[in-house]
Amino acid sequence: MSTRKIIHIDMDCFYAAIEMRDDPSLRGQPVAVGGQPGRRGVLCTCNYEARKYGLHSAMPSGVAVRQCPNLQLLPVNMFKYREASEQIGDIFAEYTDAIEWISLDEAYLDVTESDKCNGSATWMAEEIRAAIWSRLTLTASAGIAPNKMLAKIASDLNKPNGQFVVLPEEIADFIVNLPVKKIMGVGKVTNKKLEAMGVVTCGDLQAWDLPALQESFGKMGGRLHRCCRGEDESAVRSERVRKSVSVEITYPKSLMSVSACVNEMPHLKERLLKRMNPVDQSIAKQFIKLTFDDFSKTSVEALSTLLSDDLYAQLLKIGFKRSDKPVRLVGIGVRLAIDTAEDNGQMALLGE
Amino acid sequence: MTNPIHLTRDCLLGPLQKVIGVVEKKQTMPILSNVQMTIEDNSVSFIGTDSEVELMGEALFISQTPVETIRLTLPGRKLVDICRALPDNAAIELYQEKESVVLRSGKSRFTLSTLPAEDFPTIERESADVEFTLSQTALKSLLQQTQAFMAQQDVRYYLNGLLLTTIDNTLIAAATDGHRLAKAWIDNAPTSEDIHIIIPRKGVMELLRLLSDSDESVTIRVGKNHIAISSPHFSFLSKLIDGRFPDYSRVIPKKTDISLALDRDQLKEALQRVMILCSEKHKAIRFEFSKGMLTITANNPQLESAEESIPIDYDLENMNIGFNIKYLLDTLQTIPSGPMTLSLNGPDQSVLFESSTDNETGVRSLFVIMPMRL
Repeated sequence: MSTRKIIHIDMDCFYAAIEMRDDPSLRGQPVAVGGQPGRRGVLCTCNYEARKYGLHSAMPSGVAVRQCPNLQLLPVNMFKYREASEQIGDIFAEYTDAIEWISLDEAYLDVTESDKCNGSATWMAEEIRAAIWSRLTLTASAGIAPNKMLAKIASDLNKPNGQFVVLPEEIADFIVNLPVKKIMGVGKVTNKKLEAMGVVTCGDLQAWDLPALQESFGKMGGRLHRCCRGEDESAVRSERVRKSVSVEITYPKSLMSVSACVNEMPHLKERLLKRMNPVDQSIAKQFIKLTFDDFSKTSVEALSTLLSDDLYAQLLKIGFKRSDKPVRLVGIGVRLAIDTAEDNGQMALLGE
Repeated sequence: MTNPIHLTRDCLLGPLQKVIGVVEKKQTMPILSNVQMTIEDNSVSFIGTDSEVELMGEALFISQTPVETIRLTLPGRKLVDICRALPDNAAIELYQEKESVVLRSGKSRFTLSTLPAEDFPTIERESADVEFTLSQTALKSLLQQTQAFMAQQDVRYYLNGLLLTTIDNTLIAAATDGHRLAKAWIDNAPTSEDIHIIIPRKGVMELLRLLSDSDESVTIRVGKNHIAISSPHFSFLSKLIDGRFPDYSRVIPKKTDISLALDRDQLKEALQRVMILCSEKHKAIRFEFSKGMLTITANNPQLESAEESIPIDYDLENMNIGFNIKYLLDTLQTIPSGPMTLSLNGPDQSVLFESSTDNETGVRSLFVIMPMRL
């Protein structure tokens, strides 16, 4: 396998950061998001102030409140987090299609094929984090490495709001002092076993040959043998469920009026239909985006289950009116319905 | 089993087919893929179980020679397949040979493995708190009209079954998957005792296979943890789901602003045509009510569309409601041919479907579907 460029993006205290963004009075205070203590709730996440009190995710809320009596414990607002996550996904999509989500706040991007930033994954990670800050006022940390394992380890090193690069030629030096427990899948039990063998760092582990590791750890042995050398071939598996499809055109000469934009519709729609052809999901919304000649951007969307020309024309009118300037880019697209009962529009009969 | 037993293929196949549905191919306990066969003077019976639901089917047979009581277990699926593959009324001879059971018919000979009958795990019987009789047709109709609305493998485990309850001298069966609800009931409940039990989905489906459209009654016994139903030809025993069924009565619209008369067949056929252009995943369709007309439209991701119009007696504001077409068709499948009514308040409230004709079994029913957002 030729050298790949993988970025691991990890949002900083995602749920808590969103809550602090939306309610500035929370800033500077210990904040956690999670279930209520009385109902055996646990923390989903907490901010750095709360971590000073020893709080961490998956901790029972009751324990957390005892340990940190002035904790601002907020209920989980999954809708809000999902929305933010989708916006972050839109940013990723500007760089690559190969996006593997681990959770709402964590994803791997394979940018090997991307020609953005002259192909520099380090610069792409900088740009992505900057875009997340400017569009969502949230911070992210990134790890950039030739594989997923190293990228994930790297994203943790300059957290929060930082990034760390492991270049291919630096792998050997990077890995040798890394504690083995940083390897994904090395939990308490394996770590104890390794400690008993006198293995603390990946360098220690490299001294053990493959048959010996397989003997002690079975299948995991092979993985340990590769991981302690910084090898990980696993591919970035992009999600099959698409959330939107869109096309855009940047015009060499700016479009001067709404009607000029509307006139571009047939051409854009033809391209959109081509891209939608393999998609077997239903349409949830139609949207347009415009970039004006001063590079200001706007987008407008509306609920729709059909691909309606009239609706696109209407949306273009609304978007154009916001700036009333010459237009350099017109994009049209659809948001797709995700087929789960809660998202496909089916309403619940019983109160949940 | 010392002497060979002589039976016919059909007297084995009848009771076997009644119980085989519960016998799963992949079992954790090997004996659960077996059925227990009991032969007495003039009857042969089989028991199949998955340790949640236990079924017994029985048939009579006339033996020329006196028969000792025999009890043994045989691989259920294989025995059914052998009997099915033999010609009608073929004569069958069964006898034990070492550790196996031999089944012979004409020029065919099968040697089957057997496991000790005393190891067969029958569900422990408990005393019944309530006992009553009901006609098979009525019970079947109660289940048939509600079964499609049970949830499947829902985390809300109490929805993966059917509620059987008595309220104000009516016997009610109800099922809901959280999106739609079916309720069927008989006035003049056959018991004055209070019942409130949830029969698991699998039990309901197997019971439906056992019940026939005969006037013959079945005896129903309800205990703390089980329900037992028996007739001269079969018996059924199922564990109950221990949980609280939601208060379904509050989702049934009591007062509705709009009530429309429709013909069930006309609506069903229109939906079946519209369904052609729904994709496997995308089941949302649109009901558009306008003056004098109901227009039903479906779209798919390929941007094809289907439209059906049905004249209706409606003269209010135009209104659009989205539905999952599968839920509609399941409902119309259950409602008999003839006039029906559709009652509703608006596009974001539950919609009531009722037949306007009485079911000949005396079982009445109603169906509620929650719309989809458009």
